[in-house]
Amino acid sequence: MRNDYLSDLLARVRKPGRYLGTEVNSVHKSLEDIKVHLAFAFPDLYEVGMSHLGLKILYALANRLPGVYAERFFTPAADMEEILREENILLFSLESRTPMKNFDMVGFTIQYELSFSTVLNMLDLGGIPLLSEDRNGSDPLIMGGGPGVFNPEPLAPFFDFFVIGDGEEILEAIIRVYEQWKEDGREERRTFLKEISRLPGIYVPSFYEPEYSKGKFTGMKLLEKGIPEVIEKRTVYDLENSFYPDCFLVPFVEVVHDRAALELFRGCSKGCRFCQAGILYRPVRERSVGRLKELAKSIMARTGFEEISLSSLSSSDYSQIENLIDELKNEFDKKDVTFSLPSLRADAFALKQADKLQRKKSGGVTFAPEAGSERLRNVINKKVTEEDILEAANQALHSGRNHIKLYFMIGLPTETEDDLWAIVDLVKKISTIRQPGGRRKPFRITVSASTFVPKPHTPFQWEPQLSMPEIRSHQDLLRKHLRKLRGVEFSWHDPEMSYMEGVFSRGDRRLASVLKRAFLEGSRLDAWNDSFNFPLWEKVFQDEGVDPTYYTRYNPGPEDPLPWDHISTGVSKEFLISEWRKALKAEVTEDCREKGCVGCGLADCSIQAGEVKCTTTF
Amino acid sequence: MYHYLLSFSKEGDIKFISHLDLMRTFIRALRRAEMPVAYSQGFSPQPRLTFAAPLAVGLEARNEYLDLYMTEAWQNERILQALNGQFPLGLKVKAVHEVELEKSPLSSLINAALYIAILTPDPGDFSEALQNILRAEIIMKVRWDKKGEKTLDIRPFIYHLKIGDSEEGTGKLLMLLATGNKGGARPEEILELLPLPGIKARVYREALFFPDKGRLLTPEGISSEEYMER
Repeated sequence: MRNDYLSDLLARVRKPGRYLGTEVNSVHKSLEDIKVHLAFAFPDLYEVGMSHLGLKILYALANRLPGVYAERFFTPAADMEEILREENILLFSLESRTPMKNFDMVGFTIQYELSFSTVLNMLDLGGIPLLSEDRNGSDPLIMGGGPGVFNPEPLAPFFDFFVIGDGEEILEAIIRVYEQWKEDGREERRTFLKEISRLPGIYVPSFYEPEYSKGKFTGMKLLEKGIPEVIEKRTVYDLENSFYPDCFLVPFVEVVHDRAALELFRGCSKGCRFCQAGILYRPVRERSVGRLKELAKSIMARTGFEEISLSSLSSSDYSQIENLIDELKNEFDKKDVTFSLPSLRADAFALKQADKLQRKKSGGVTFAPEAGSERLRNVINKKVTEEDILEAANQALHSGRNHIKLYFMIGLPTETEDDLWAIVDLVKKISTIRQPGGRRKPFRITVSASTFVPKPHTPFQWEPQLSMPEIRSHQDLLRKHLRKLRGVEFSWHDPEMSYMEGVFSRGDRRLASVLKRAFLEGSRLDAWNDSFNFPLWEKVFQDEGVDPTYYTRYNPGPEDPLPWDHISTGVSKEFLISEWRKALKAEVTEDCREKGCVGCGLADCSIQAGEVKCTTTF
Repeated sequence: MYHYLLSFSKEGDIKFISHLDLMRTFIRALRRAEMPVAYSQGFSPQPRLTFAAPLAVGLEARNEYLDLYMTEAWQNERILQALNGQFPLGLKVKAVHEVELEKSPLSSLINAALYIAILTPDPGDFSEALQNILRAEIIMKVRWDKKGEKTLDIRPFIYHLKIGDSEEGTGKLLMLLATGNKGGARPEEILELLPLPGIKARVYREALFFPDKGRLLTPEGISSEEYMER
């Protein structure tokens, strides 16, 4: 319970405002009346976790259920962790300050590979044995969800079960199974796991055993009768009528995205071949303008946020975007609400929509051409031409913006040095854009180059990642030549972090021992520059006898079994293989919402533009 | 445009939010309450509200003030109810007064604050130490800011120190200190000067004062002497 002792702790840490748990729209229930006590844990700092939409949807959804109480956990900052460990205080929930180990179930959101060691740290701080097999009757059940569990294998031994796909579709069913098990006396954990494994979308890793031959993964052995060979992801098909919160938590401290999010649609049909989200969140499901307008109104009334972000994977691709913007502008014109369109396509249409939303057309705009050359953009299926990009940049500057951010990736499949030069050339062309009178208006260009990480379930899942020396030499070339351009700043991703992402992205269960060891040796918050410790990881790999480069250089053939083949996104492997082959020939695949079904294999998909029905073409 | 003076308290764990966080919390509460707040002119209009004196993180407060400007006249009680209906735990509007539009916001006037420290366990009599501080001519303190370390004399900022009547088992220290843009002393700096080993101090800001004909008065017209005698 809330007590003075824990309040005293807060006096000793930096930014105590993140640990209060009494934010507007936080939920406080009496623990006596609770049948199922749920913890939602986000393995990053409050400021990051509180910017995550999924957590807010699930938090509000679970707390609407009678007898259910869901609370939040974020990872404590280093100063708080030190105090907790020194004084043997268990990691406690924000709302009721209950130790993690006293919850019925703890659900972790897995967003990115570099949060894995933080998951272990939170379990440990919460007083919960790290390995599923070491937990007993009184320990909570640990579940994992989010995009990061579409290859759950490196995390497998630490979790009791994983939820594959849209969480709001299955949360209540999980709670009901748990309730029944609790009523039956909460005896064998295995009984619960057996029962939960019957729900579509649930993966119980301890019921599956990976097999290897000569160091290579050869397949999954099923250890139980009646469990599915392939776990199909869950999908909210009717997004329009699905639950969406209006009572967004309003943080006290400034978080990364300090605003409400209005999710226009889920999924993306552009088909960029490096993009995992584009596969995981298929099919595209939109909300109607009417529903979005109503949601926006009630969100503003219940939160008082100054800004709503129109979010989705590529917001300007919402089919009713112009109509929506007009409606929102009419509704909120006098209420001093700003709207932002965060994921812009690099073209003039998208920019025009963003301009319509903003009163002040100053500041910056971000475009993601991803590759410098047309050829390489065809390889990754990023269907944007150099003309589009230059026109958009031109328009951005002429409409009063003074900062253009450009995102590129290095190390994409088939990349050659020419493609790097193409980045330099493209930036050069943008940097010399003149005003109509020929005058050069001062503006900044920030070029950011991330390193391609091959992701499971994408057409590039069979491609290796650049080696670290290659990453460095690519970055050096860009740095050297971009630096010469006026007004251009260059930033790049830490090669060692990209390498670690590459290792765990396509990792298998053998990495779990490395992960555990790395945590025990002190690794956590690896996504943060100031806490990422690469020498520690190198040492741990060596001690555990695991070669990390095996995973980054992994280039199996299309017929080889993959460690994540038992998790299905609904997109067929045949489609991924065909996309991979087309990529290597630099052939594009059209957007199915514009040109009709491309045969990705997804069942139950009705494409909205022109009501084209998706049929399998194999 | 209409001008209101609001008094509010900030008690409990919400003392851990910063002044900036408090401003954001107020603005969002005003927006949820759909109050007709006036906006400043200019390139990026901001809601017109001015806090009398920023409060440091970790301090509770009983009587803080805020000047609020609105485009419509609301009954004082309506403002109070609307805001209290939207506040998070620990924040509370205590009173609302309509004031003349021309009247300067309090922030430009406030120059002193009374801090009260509740000390546990009861440290006994330490009035000798208080007298030593009050008798001193200079008291040098080291402070850190973005530019680094600097040393300054805080003695001119200490107006009065006194041991107050306390509940059984606790001690109570009253500190009347300068605050505002001409400089001030912090309650923890005073506590550091006292021989209070092993004593836990819970500090809150009891009142804010502005100078009036040689005296210090709260916006309600209560003098600092009266407060010190309570």
